[in-house]
Order: sequence, then structure tokens, then C-alpha cells
Amino acid sequence: MKIILEAVNIKKKIKQELILKGINLKVYKGEFLSIIGASGSGKSTLLYILGLLDKPTGGNIILEGENIDFKNVKKLTVLRNKKFGFVFQFHYLIPEFTAVENVIIPMLKAKTNKKQALQRATNLLKQLGLTEKINKRPFELSGGEQQRVAIARALANKPSIILADEPTGNLDSKNTQNVMEILLNLNNKYKTTIIMVTHELELAKLTDRTIELVDGKITKEIINKPDKYTHVQN
Amino acid sequence: MIHNIFISSKFLIERKRQTAVALLGVAIGVSAFIVMTSLMRGFQKYFIKQALNINGHINLKVEENNDELRIVKKAFNPEKYLFVVLGSKPKEKKYKISNYKQIIKMYSSNPEIIGISPHLLGTGMVVYGTKEKNASLIGIYPELENKTVSFKEYLKSGKLSQLEADKNNIIIGIKLADDLGIKEPGKKISIVSPSGNIYTLKVIDFLNTGITEIDKTRIYIHIKKLQTILEKPGQVNEIIFKIKHPEDAVSVAKQISLQTGYKAESWQEAFRNFLSLFRMQNYITYIIVFSILVVSAFGIFNIIMMTVLEKKKDIAILKAIGYSNIDIIFIFTMQGLIIGIIGGIIGNILGFYILEWLETVKIEVEGIIRVKGFILDRNILYHLFGFIFAFVFSLLAAFYPSYRASKLYPVDIFRTGG
Repeated sequence: MKIILEAVNIKKKIKQELILKGINLKVYKGEFLSIIGASGSGKSTLLYILGLLDKPTGGNIILEGENIDFKNVKKLTVLRNKKFGFVFQFHYLIPEFTAVENVIIPMLKAKTNKKQALQRATNLLKQLGLTEKINKRPFELSGGEQQRVAIARALANKPSIILADEPTGNLDSKNTQNVMEILLNLNNKYKTTIIMVTHELELAKLTDRTIELVDGKITKEIINKPDKYTHVQN
Repeated sequence: MIHNIFISSKFLIERKRQTAVALLGVAIGVSAFIVMTSLMRGFQKYFIKQALNINGHINLKVEENNDELRIVKKAFNPEKYLFVVLGSKPKEKKYKISNYKQIIKMYSSNPEIIGISPHLLGTGMVVYGTKEKNASLIGIYPELENKTVSFKEYLKSGKLSQLEADKNNIIIGIKLADDLGIKEPGKKISIVSPSGNIYTLKVIDFLNTGITEIDKTRIYIHIKKLQTILEKPGQVNEIIFKIKHPEDAVSVAKQISLQTGYKAESWQEAFRNFLSLFRMQNYITYIIVFSILVVSAFGIFNIIMMTVLEKKKDIAILKAIGYSNIDIIFIFTMQGLIIGIIGGIIGNILGFYILEWLETVKIEVEGIIRVKGFILDRNILYHLFGFIFAFVFSLLAAFYPSYRASKLYPVDIFRTGG
């Protein structure tokens, strides 16, 4: 397995408080990594920095072998659009847009032809079991459906990495299971790298590897599926 | 670009009521600008056109000399003595242009000057039956006058040539005739000269320029006859010029003044009171219209600002999925611009139809000018300017909230859950 994303001594200070205290983390291509930790441990902050949404106070992020320059805002924007897909606890769908329109938004930014974008968005929504909901607005969808549309949006530009911040945090158990199945299927079938922040240990156990953050530091690493790491390249 | 327009228009369409109010504000501002400018400029242009048509572009006059110390100064050195003349009385003025024939000859061959007409000006009392009115008496050579000003155009029956045929004929301002009770031509009136002589003259036509001040005071008589009435044989005290380029009247007047030694007054100088009044009118109009536009711009500002505040989560997700700060500015500024453009178009259409309607309204207006209905200066430029103002105001109004939107930090929104 090749390293796709690496955090080197990442530190983050928010309002004079050091949230991340030198995180070193290697994320392998095609792995499903979960980050667990108590509230305020810095797991979401780490995810945002890994997803180039937030700037670290110190340290480096290396994406596909390239050291990220956080001053180059234009490049960060392009990388976020092309390399990452985001799923949050809240769906953050734009209420004025239908499901399919929400999905095409990242593709339009990537200059995909609108017809092709609509085609791909429709296919994604169908794959996620939303055939009947393609032209529905977010308020017409259930919580689980909303989150599935958000996953479709995250997949729109065929990203290398999906970053999920407590994607099931706002769902009931049935929808939680459904969303986890989708993420696991994505990882197994399409080898999409997924980094998921969760506070549910049971969900973390379903992923390939789990790291635990305590007070801004990685304190534990659990390999849930050791057979997947037999060919790890450093 | 297209994706940003797509998002902008979606945001706008979903806020139908607010968008409609903002559009209405812009449309009213633009149509008010078009209508008020057309009305104002229409009135002003009409006044200037009529006044120039009847008065000529440059008036050459004898400068009145009111220096009562003139003779005393000639006798004594004014630097050595302080003179005070007590109880001085105005002396009889005998101002005339003595070499007017030479002046006319001198400028007749000037290609810049297309008409010259000498005048004798005076005042007198007009009597018709029991009615008496003071009038400005203007002595003219009918043929020269017609070449210099559009005189014939304003005559009710166009009988200018009859002034030449019979020197006892006169043309009277239509309002003055009204005041005297003269309803049709052929009536005989009496003119009492300043020295008390009474002359009986025949009204052959009425002058109707539409400018109340002219139509209420003027009487045109053959110059020879007026010279007799005023006991100023062979005298001329004003020469009017028509020039090829009326806008150059100030410089041409200066030149004539230097060459002749008399005071040459351009039409801009002669009408300076009116022109400054018009300027003031324009300022007031533009202030009112700009106030309307500013209010509508605040409407746009308010809508975009509200949208930005309500759409923090959407802005955050857009930024997370790769939309740049410029995209965000574009998305929100575009909303203002769409309002400005559509509001500008509606305002133009509205303005056009209001002007169409105003043209059909035939009400009697009597003030500085007398017209039936509104005088409109319909110009495509006013429509264009209205549209440009709407565009610029919308752009300015939308830019700041859009800029604020672009500065939102998505992580702050995600951390708090929006």
C-alpha cells in the first residue's frame, strides 16, 4: 500500500490553546481509516487539516508525495475540488437545489459539461438508492437520504480521498448502518481512501485501521484488518 | 462562470418576494430617471430653442455708461482727489450704434455668421379701446430679421412681408393682444411714444413663440416707423447675429466685441439666469433620482447581506468542495447584478411607456413657457444611462456583502454545526 496522505508533526493552535500537539500520521491509498477520540480531542480539527480546509499552525501535509503550501490558496481550492470528497455530520445540502443539482455543484466547478455532470449525478444517486429522489429538494428527503445525497456529492469528482466527519452522528441506527455500508462498499469496491472521524467505537471497528486521539495526540493505533496491511510501503 | 451564474440565479429565484421588491425598486429608480430627465431636458431644450429662434445667438448693444463722475474725472486727476457727486440724476440716454451699416457690411462676408439684423428697441404704451399696456417696441427690417431668426415660424398667419408693404402695420405678441382684447388681425391700436405722440397702427399678425415673457410684451414694427415714433431717425441700438455654430457664441461674441468696441452678448450670457436655473433644476432632479437609486441599492445590499447571513452553511460547503473566494464573490455579486440588469430593463420599458403616455396627455401648461401637453426630450442615451446607473449601483451594493461572504472561514461553520 502506498502512502496517499501524510501528516508530519501537525500542530494547531486555536485561541492560544494547542489543539493538536504534533500529529504524525500516514494514510495509505485504499485504506479506510477511522479517527476516534473524546469530544475536544482534536479529531475533527485533524480531519479539516488533512482535507486542506484548515491551516496547521505547524508541520506539513504531504498529499500524493507533494508537500502542501497552505499559502497557495488557489491550489488548495483546486485540490479540495479534485482530490477530496467531504461528508459531514450535517448534510449541508443547499436547500434551493434538488438532489441532483446538489451533486453536480462540485462537477460544474471542475468544468465538467453540465449534461455529463447530470448523467453522472443521476447514476451516483441511483447507486445510492435514491432513484425516486433525484429531483427532490433536501427538505423532502429523510435524514438518511439527505446524507446519501451528501455522499453522492462527495463522490461527484471521483476523489482520491473521502473525508467523513461523524457522517452518522445525526442518523438513527438503521440509517447509520446504511451509510456505513455505502462507505465500506466504496472502499472495498472502488478502493477509495476514506478517513472517518467518529466517536462510536463499534463503527470504527468496521474500518481497516483506527487511531485514537487524546488531548491532541495519537495515543493508540488499532489495525482492524491486518491482512490489508501486508504490503505496506513506507 | 456558468456554474456561478447557475447558483446565483437559483438563489434569486428561490427568494421570489425579496427579489421582486428589489427589482421593483431598481425599475422605479431607472424609470424615474428616464422620465424626469426627458421632462426636464425637454422643457429646457424647448425654452432655449424657442428663445434662440426669436432672439438670435449674439446681441450687439451699446454698453450703458453709468459713471456719473465721467466729466469730473476728465477735469481732475482722480488719483489726487476723492470725488463725491451728490444728487446726480440719470441723464437722458442716447445710446446708439452709430456705425451699424459698417458693422453689418463687415460681418456679412463672414462665413461663421449666417444672419445679421439691426434693431431699434424702445418702450411705449399700447392703447386699444379702454385698455392700456406697456410694451417693448422692436423696430426691424422684416427681410433681414427673417434671415436671422425663425420669425415667420411663430407668426399666426405668416404675414411678415406686410410689415414692409405698409409701415403702419405691426405684429403683436399673442398674449399682449389677449390682454388688450384683440382677437383677430386688422384691429387698429394706438401707440403712445415716450414724448407723448400718439400713432395709430394696424395689427396684421400675432407672434406666438410659446415663451410667455416674449408673447406678453413684444410688438414688432418696421424700423423706419419706430425711428419716427421714438424720434430717433436713422438710429439703431442693437444688432443681432445668427451664427453657424450656436455653441461657439461666447467666443464669437468676444471677438465681435473686440472688433466693434460695442458689448456683444452671447445667448449663454443673455440667458445665464435661466441656464443657472436649469442647472439647479437638473441638480435637484438628479438628487431625487439618485436618492431613489440609492434606496433601491440599499434594498439590494440588504437582500444580499441577508442572503449571506442565512447562507453561511452553503458558503462553507461551497468553499469546502472547491469554490474559491472569487467564485463566492461572483455568486453573490451576480445576484445584485441580475437584479440591476433585469430591474434596469424593466425600468427602461416602464420609462418608455410612461413617456409614450405623457406624449398623449394634452393639458395646458402656462408658466415660463406655454404649451399644450408635456415637452419631452426622448433620447436613447437617457435609457442607456438609466441602465448603466442601475448596473453600477447594483454592483456597488452587492459587492460588500459578497466580499464578506468570501471571507467566511468554512471550518468555523463546520465546527459550530452551522
